[in-house]
Amino acid sequence: MEPYTPALGEAELVKLAQKGNMAAFEELVARHRDKIYARAYSMVRHEDEALDLSQDAWVKGWQRLAQFQGDASFVTWMTRIVINLCLDQLRRQKRQRAESIEAMAEETGGVERQMPVVTPNPTEGLERQELRRRIDRALAQLSYEHRTVLVLHEFEELEYKEIARRMQCSIGTVMSRLFYARRRMALLLAGLKRENLE
Amino acid sequence: MRHDLELKLQAWLDGELPEREARRMGQWITRDADAAALLAQLRSVKEALPGNETARAVPDSREFYWSQIQRRIQRETLSSRPARLPWFARWQGYLLPLTGVAAVACALMAMVWHAAPPTFDEISATTDGMEAVTFHDQSGQMTVVWLQENSPPAAPAPPAQKTGGTTQETGDSDVEME
Repeated sequence: MEPYTPALGEAELVKLAQKGNMAAFEELVARHRDKIYARAYSMVRHEDEALDLSQDAWVKGWQRLAQFQGDASFVTWMTRIVINLCLDQLRRQKRQRAESIEAMAEETGGVERQMPVVTPNPTEGLERQELRRRIDRALAQLSYEHRTVLVLHEFEELEYKEIARRMQCSIGTVMSRLFYARRRMALLLAGLKRENLE
Repeated sequence: MRHDLELKLQAWLDGELPEREARRMGQWITRDADAAALLAQLRSVKEALPGNETARAVPDSREFYWSQIQRRIQRETLSSRPARLPWFARWQGYLLPLTGVAAVACALMAMVWHAAPPTFDEISATTDGMEAVTFHDQSGQMTVVWLQENSPPAAPAPPAQKTGGTTQETGDSDVEME
């Protein structure tokens, strides 16, 4: 019978799990499952897919536990795993879907490139809860390339170089995607704000 | 505004420009109203996002979610293990090389056995009136001694020489079995 683990700290749980203790690993899953699932959802925007990817990430985490050295926190390490799985999934989906004019426009900025700079601060004066809701809605309307680069840069705080490595593209492409993603986000938030006022 | 300048402006905002270039960019932003407006827009998004991500919870219960993970772990572990072979197939792995080595060893021994030249020791001794010829076949474990008179046939033959072991008188020759 494996020991009961909820009272243990994270480092102890990780050490036990590294020795093959499933109960310790289950406790780690219980503690961080929402964060891992939320990151998967923020990238793929699909509940079932996010659930599946988050579970895959835990399986990979279990298999690679010996590689975890504790340089970053356990949850950061797990988040990197789920991000990589999401990126693989999105790449597969991109290969499957036909290249459309819309998809090409997303890469180069599309209509956002021609638009003037809108309201300087589209999120000004919004309640935190409302702001979160709007950001979520706006993120859902971005292409996966734009959304991914925003998630990795703004939420995961990765540098251009690291994003490029993970997304398997050049730093220039990352900069360009991030630029258009931000502009589109500003437009969406401003539009949502106007819509709300009306 | 040129696109490369827009990207540099953003890189400046994200702290990705080298110090010298960042200083020049900062000076340009203070002089250029369009650059300042664009910067304000980019900054508003950059500052709005962190900490404002919608929290999401796994829609399944802890037990159900874990049971699915556990099942996957077990499945992956099983599939990564090599398939268990029946006993004769496992023994085959050992027996085949052993049989090969034994066969080669037998072949070599047979070659040595047959290739070895038979050793014949033949000794001939002649005395007055008598000649003795000893033939020894090592492979046949046999010694044959011929005694032959050189004197006229009327004289009696001397007794057979004994070289050890059993001696059989066979007329003119004695065969000794070692």
